[in-house]
Amino acid sequence: MKLYDLLKDRIFIFISCITAFLIIFLFMNAFNADPQLKIITGVILFLLLIVNETHEFLRKKFFYDDIKIKMENLDRKYLISEMITPPRFFDGDLMCELLSEAGRSMCENIAEYRRNSAEFREFIEMWVHEIKLPVSSLLLMAHNNRSEISEKFLEQLYRIDGYTDTVLYYARSENAEKDYIIKEIQLSKAASGIALKNRETLLLNNVAIRTSGLEVTVLTDGKWLEFILGQLIANSIKFFSPEREPEIFISAEEFSDKTVLKYRDNGIGIPESDIPYIFEKSFTGENGRKGTRSTGMGLYIVKNLCEKMGHKISVNSQKGEFTEFEIIFDKNDFYKFN
Amino acid sequence: MSKIYIIEDDRSIRTELSELLRNAGYETEAPSELENILDGMIAANADLILLDINLPIVNGEVLLKEFRKSSDTPVIMVTSRTSEADEVLSMSYGADDYITKPYNPTILLLRISAVLKRSSRSTANQYYKDLKINAAKGALTSDDRELILTKNEMIIFQLLFDRQGEIVTRDELMTALWDNNEFINDNALTVNVSRLRAKLCEAGYNDAVETRKKQGYILK
Repeated sequence: MKLYDLLKDRIFIFISCITAFLIIFLFMNAFNADPQLKIITGVILFLLLIVNETHEFLRKKFFYDDIKIKMENLDRKYLISEMITPPRFFDGDLMCELLSEAGRSMCENIAEYRRNSAEFREFIEMWVHEIKLPVSSLLLMAHNNRSEISEKFLEQLYRIDGYTDTVLYYARSENAEKDYIIKEIQLSKAASGIALKNRETLLLNNVAIRTSGLEVTVLTDGKWLEFILGQLIANSIKFFSPEREPEIFISAEEFSDKTVLKYRDNGIGIPESDIPYIFEKSFTGENGRKGTRSTGMGLYIVKNLCEKMGHKISVNSQKGEFTEFEIIFDKNDFYKFN
Repeated sequence: MSKIYIIEDDRSIRTELSELLRNAGYETEAPSELENILDGMIAANADLILLDINLPIVNGEVLLKEFRKSSDTPVIMVTSRTSEADEVLSMSYGADDYITKPYNPTILLLRISAVLKRSSRSTANQYYKDLKINAAKGALTSDDRELILTKNEMIIFQLLFDRQGEIVTRDELMTALWDNNEFINDNALTVNVSRLRAKLCEAGYNDAVETRKKQGYILK
């Protein structure tokens, strides 16, 4: 709070005081008052004004500067009302009261939405698990009664399973609750798990998978990592180039403070103008519009899951040549003591 | 013949799973009544138990914990819960493996046979005719010679050997290879089997691996 602000704020008081001074002096002149009396009256009135206004200024300055600093340092700004010391002047006290009431009402509102979203997630989780039962049952039936048609059924069943998983992980990634477990996972195990799951599709599309250096462990949630890799594989399959033999290359490199997982395919790549947006919700881009149908959700969920677990994900691509995703897992020695 | 005890509350899965396992040469028991299931588990005297987590009366994890107090029969958890937390919990209660639904039936069979093998592994060495199987070294050895196999050939040989005299499908071989991070395609599998056959032939075991058209391979 600066002096200028105060002057601007209280301009009316100053004007009325000056007018009052003038009127008093006019009267004093009219009654031929002693010049000494004029000076004394003037000085007293002036001092009165200055002392009053200085007091007002300092009081407000301390109060509002304090709020400002607290607000700047506060991580959840809506909790400011809890941090204010009541200022003991009328408008300040009133504002504090209103602020704390507004804050309380908002917290209640947030709590309600949080509860709703948690309930919704539980609901999705529960029903996705229910959907998985008939799918398992059908998979077994198709397997027990092998024929040409059962192979086709299997393919569709794996599609259903993939889509329900997307729903499940979307619900998980949007939720504020921490429902993953970070532990040491061998990258080769995650890679073989997800490759095995997609084996039929990969072979059908003649995709060669090469790996290198995956015998390292990283700190992550194994199930989430498999889902992430699964989404990347699904994207690769959609966007392979007809000019080359399709190939996916998964490799890992270990550094002193991190492990970097690289996932690269030799597909049609991503146009440079699309790259900054590919992790955004519902973004389909050039590839998604002209080629296979895209929902624009896969990579958004992938990014969300990575962020939740504290991994960094980035993309590098050249149109017509390749797409490469990089996931960085930090090392944390703290976990290893447990 | 190994006996597998299936605890599963979904009727359709239960019957299909029993059929799958019977076709694969196991004896199965799958009770439809899940009350006092703990007594049933112990009384069944099975070689392996497939246990669902979401059961109507009691939670599978709790059941496993109770069961482990009196028996060390191998247990594989089969569940539609896909969180790492459930897996960690199950493993800490003493599960031998954890598979999520919907599973690829071939993978399930592979895991079952792996767990059974682990639990019944005798210290005695495994022999194919007069060749000693040295999986760690990737070689088949006899007194006077040594057959060096590649990783792929060893995986194929081991699977054929475990089910000697039975047909092993190409699908099963592929699943086993991919499970071991060997992501090969159909042609490469054919090549690998031919190489294995040639190596065995060279060592004097003619026609050890027989091809059954459209079915798979048999180790004689």
